[in-house]
Amino acid sequence: MLEVNEIDVYRGDIRVLWSVSLKVEEGTITALLGSNAAGKTSLLMSISGLIKPMRGSIRFNGMEITKEPAHRIVEIGMSMVPEGRRLFPEMSVLENLELGAFLKKARNAKDRAIEEIYEIFPILKSRATQMAGTLSGGEQQMLAIGRALMSRPKLLLIDELSLGLAPLVLQHIAEIIKEINVSRGLTIFIVEQNALMTLEMAQFGYLIENGRIVGSGETNSLLQNEQIKNAYFGI
Amino acid sequence: MIQIIVYGVITGAFYGLAAVGLSLVFGVMKHLNIAHGSFLMIGGFVSFWLFHLFKIDPFVSIPLAMIILFVLGGVLYKGLFSHLDKLPEGLKINNSMLVGFGLTWILDNLAILFWTSDVRAVTPSYTGKVWNPLTGLRIPIVGLGVIGIALLVIFSLYLLLTKTYFGKSVRGTAQDRDAASLVGINVERTYLVFFALGAALAGIAGVVSAVNYSVHPTVGFEWLLKAIIILVLAGFGKVGPVFVAGLLLGIVEGISVYFVGTTYREVVGLVIFILVMLKRSM
Repeated sequence: MLEVNEIDVYRGDIRVLWSVSLKVEEGTITALLGSNAAGKTSLLMSISGLIKPMRGSIRFNGMEITKEPAHRIVEIGMSMVPEGRRLFPEMSVLENLELGAFLKKARNAKDRAIEEIYEIFPILKSRATQMAGTLSGGEQQMLAIGRALMSRPKLLLIDELSLGLAPLVLQHIAEIIKEINVSRGLTIFIVEQNALMTLEMAQFGYLIENGRIVGSGETNSLLQNEQIKNAYFGI
Repeated sequence: MIQIIVYGVITGAFYGLAAVGLSLVFGVMKHLNIAHGSFLMIGGFVSFWLFHLFKIDPFVSIPLAMIILFVLGGVLYKGLFSHLDKLPEGLKINNSMLVGFGLTWILDNLAILFWTSDVRAVTPSYTGKVWNPLTGLRIPIVGLGVIGIALLVIFSLYLLLTKTYFGKSVRGTAQDRDAASLVGINVERTYLVFFALGAALAGIAGVVSAVNYSVHPTVGFEWLLKAIIILVLAGFGKVGPVFVAGLLLGIVEGISVYFVGTTYREVVGLVIFILVMLKRSM
C-alpha cells in the first residue's frame, strides 16, 4: 500500500534520513521503532507531505506522491495523528472533528462520521462543546485520532501514540486502535519509542537508528531477537 | 454630552471598520499589512469616481469597491506577501511591515499621479442632513449609515468565521498551520483568499471614509495609525474587541475635543496607545 524507496531527508542543513526504505502492506499494523531523534517524525512528515525528501520516492497504491503537498496527501487517502496531537486548541471538540472532514468528499458524510467517532470514543461526545485545549492528555489523543479518521483514510499514520499518556490510558487507546484495524480493515503505520506496546499491536516492525533502517521483520521474530531485547527493553 | 457620544459612536464605528481587516489578517496570517491604509484610500477613490461619473450612491458602491479591492489584494498577496509565508513568525511580521511600507509609498504616489493630490468627498443628496430624535440631539443620516454598515460587517464576519467551513479552516490555520494542512486544508489558498478579504474590508472602510469624511491620496496613513492604535488596544484576530476598541477611541477622542479642542485630538489617541504599550510590556 505504502512504499518508501531510499529517501534522503534534510532538515535545514542537517541530514536526518539516510536512504530509508520501507513498506506498509494493506490491512496490517506496521510499526517503526526508534529512540528520540532517530528520524521517526521526519519520516512521517515526509510521507504526509510536510517536508520533501531530497532524493528517493514515496508511492501510495502505486501512485507517485513524493512531491504532493500535505493537503493533497489527505485527499489521496492518508491521514496523520501528529506528534503532540496538534489539535486546534481554541476550537471545540466538535469543530475539531468537523475540520477533520474538511475535504469535500468527507464533508457530505460528516454527520455519520461524527456519530461513528462518538461510538468509538464516547467520552468525546460528552466533551463536544469543550475547547480542545482543555481536554486531558488521553482525551486529546482520542480527539486527534478521531479527527484523523474523519477524512475516511485508507492509511492512518500515528506519530508517538504513547507521548505523555498514563499507562492505563495508553493501553485503552491501543486496544481501540487494534479494533479499528480489524473492524474497518484500516491499515495503520505507527511510529513509536515505546517498543513493547507497539510490537504487541503490530504485525510488522522496522527499527530506525540515527536516520537509518537497521532491522525489520515480523514482530514475533523481533520480540525474540536478542539485540532488540537489549536495545529496547533493557532485559 | 450625549451629542458628543453620538458623534463618538459614529467615529468609532468607522474606526472599527478601518481596523477590522488589518486585525484579522494580522491575527490569522501574521502579516502586518501597512498598506491596509492605502487599500482603504483606493476604496475611497472607487466610491468617489463611481459617484462623480455615474452618480452611484456610495452605499451602493460598497460591493463594487469590495470586489475591486479583493482582486487587488489577492494579486498583491500572490506577488509580494506570499513569499514571506515560509519565514518564522517574528521575521514574517517585520518583513511584511517593510513590504507593506514600500507598497504604501507606491500606491499613494500612483494615486497622486492619476488623481492628483486634491481632497475629494462623496456628497450624495443626504450629506449634511440630520435626524432629530430628541430636541437638541442631532444624528447625521450618513452616520446612521456608517453604524449600519459596521453592524452588518460584524454580523457577517461572525457568521463567516463560526458557521462556514471556510471560516473554520481560517481559524484552524491560525491556530496550527501544519495541523490544518494535515486535515486537507490548502493553507496557501486559504491565506490568499483571507488576505484578499482583508483588502475588501479596507474597501468598505474606504467607501465609508469618502462619504463620512473625505479622501485624498495620502489619507490612508492617517487611518492606518488609528487602526494600529485599535490593534494594540483590542489585541488581534477577533472581530468584537476591534469594534469595542474603535468605539472607545472614537468616544474618547470626541470628549477630548470638548475639553482640549480639535488640535489635540490626535494626541489623545496616541497617548492611549503609549499607555497601553507601557502597561502591556510590564
